[in-house]
Amino acid sequence: MKFSKYIKDKRYLIIIFLVTYILIILNLLAYKTDKYLIISISLLLIIMVLSFLFIDYFRKKKFYQELVNNTKKLDKAYLVLETILKPDFYEGELVSDILFDINKSMIENVKIYEDQLIDFKDYIEMWIHEVKIPLASLVLTINNHKDKYSKKALNSLRRLEDSIDKVLYYVRSEESWKDYFIKEVNLGDIIKNVGLKNMEDLLDNKIDFKVFNVDFNVETDAKWLEFILNQIVNNSIKYKRNIKNSYIKIEAINDKDKVVLKITDNGIGIPKSDLKQVFDKTFTGQNGRYKIVSTGMGLYIAKSLCQKLGHEITIDSVLNSKTEVSIIFFKNNYYEVLK
Amino acid sequence: MARIMIVEDDLITANELKELLENNGYQPIVLKDFKNSYNEIINAKPDLILLDINIPYLNGEKILENLRKEINTPIVMVTSKNSEIDEALSISYGADDYITKPYNPNILLLRLGAVLKRSNQISNILIYKDLKVNIQKGVIEKDNKEITLTKNEMLIFSYLLANQNKIVTREELMTTLWNNNEFINDNALTVNISRLRSKLRDLGLEEIIETRKKEGYILL
Repeated sequence: MKFSKYIKDKRYLIIIFLVTYILIILNLLAYKTDKYLIISISLLLIIMVLSFLFIDYFRKKKFYQELVNNTKKLDKAYLVLETILKPDFYEGELVSDILFDINKSMIENVKIYEDQLIDFKDYIEMWIHEVKIPLASLVLTINNHKDKYSKKALNSLRRLEDSIDKVLYYVRSEESWKDYFIKEVNLGDIIKNVGLKNMEDLLDNKIDFKVFNVDFNVETDAKWLEFILNQIVNNSIKYKRNIKNSYIKIEAINDKDKVVLKITDNGIGIPKSDLKQVFDKTFTGQNGRYKIVSTGMGLYIAKSLCQKLGHEITIDSVLNSKTEVSIIFFKNNYYEVLK
Repeated sequence: MARIMIVEDDLITANELKELLENNGYQPIVLKDFKNSYNEIINAKPDLILLDINIPYLNGEKILENLRKEINTPIVMVTSKNSEIDEALSISYGADDYITKPYNPNILLLRLGAVLKRSNQISNILIYKDLKVNIQKGVIEKDNKEITLTKNEMLIFSYLLANQNKIVTREELMTTLWNNNEFINDNALTVNISRLRSKLRDLGLEEIIETRKKEGYILL
């Protein structure tokens, strides 16, 4: 709140005062009043007006200044009313009351959409569990009657499952409080699950799955990490090169304060210009465009899950040579402290 | 023959699961009356229970909790709820394993086998014809002759032995190997099998592992 602007705002009051003042002086002059009395009355009038303006200015300034400053500082500006004292002047009370009402109505309105979104996400999760039941029975049926069904059917079902999982984890990544449980997990166990899940695809595509030195424990959510690694391995299979010795190499490096898991493949790689964007939502890049379908969601979800879990994920690549994804698990000495 | 109780309300899944278990040398029992699921399970006296979580009347987690107060029978939870929290909850109630749908049937069988093995403490020494197979030590003995198998060869041989006189697909062998952190490729499997054959030949056992074209192998 600037004093100059305040004064400008009070211009009518000041004009009225000046006119009245001049009229009073003219009156006093007309009655040939003593000039010392005129000076003294003038002074009194000026003091009266100035003190009115100053007192009014400072009373208002306290409220408005705080309102403006706190609004600027808060990342959730709508909470500003909670941070300031209720004003002690009528105009301020009106403003603050109406702001409160506006806020309340806005929050109610947002709440409607929030509830709708939560309902929708809950339904999606329920639906995913529901759809997995016939999916499981289909897998069993095909497996029990291999003479009747082609192996390709199982491949399609696996792709269907991956696709469904992507939706599930997308929903989960948006709500960090949900279904998330961090404990000490052995990296080797998770990699084994990912390997088994993709075994047939890897063998069919003649991609060697090489795993070294992964017997380390990290703090993570096992299911989430399995999903993340599955995305990375899926990509490596999808973007393999037509060469003889295709491989996916997985190894871990155990440092003092972190464990780094590296997944390297010798596939088609990613152009330099695309590297920065591969974790962006719906980014498909050059690879996605000329190879089979890609929604550009896999790595985006992987990254947001990593962020929620406190891991770091990075990617590096040389076109037509290799792609290397690293996941960094920071060590937490919290449990050590508790012991 | 281990008796396995299937607690699963999806009829198609239950029947296919029954067929899968029968084909793999188990004796499955399918729970019919979900109203009395707890008593039915107790009365059936199974060796292992496959328990779904989302079932009518009493939910699987509750049944698990109740069963654990009474019996030590291994219980494997099978569910479409694939969250770490649900898994931790089931394990804390005393489940022996937790498998999420849809599952690879080969992996399901391996994990069932592992749970049964843990509870029965099946000995590490198996007998095949006049051979003594020591899985732990990785050796096969015949009379006074002893040969050492590599980890992969032993995994293959013991799997064939567990499924003697039955066709074992390459895929099943691969699953067993990968499940033991041996992520080998097709060529390596072929090499391992021919090495295993030649080692068995050294013990005087000719042609005991037959190749069935496009199907797999069979240990006679």
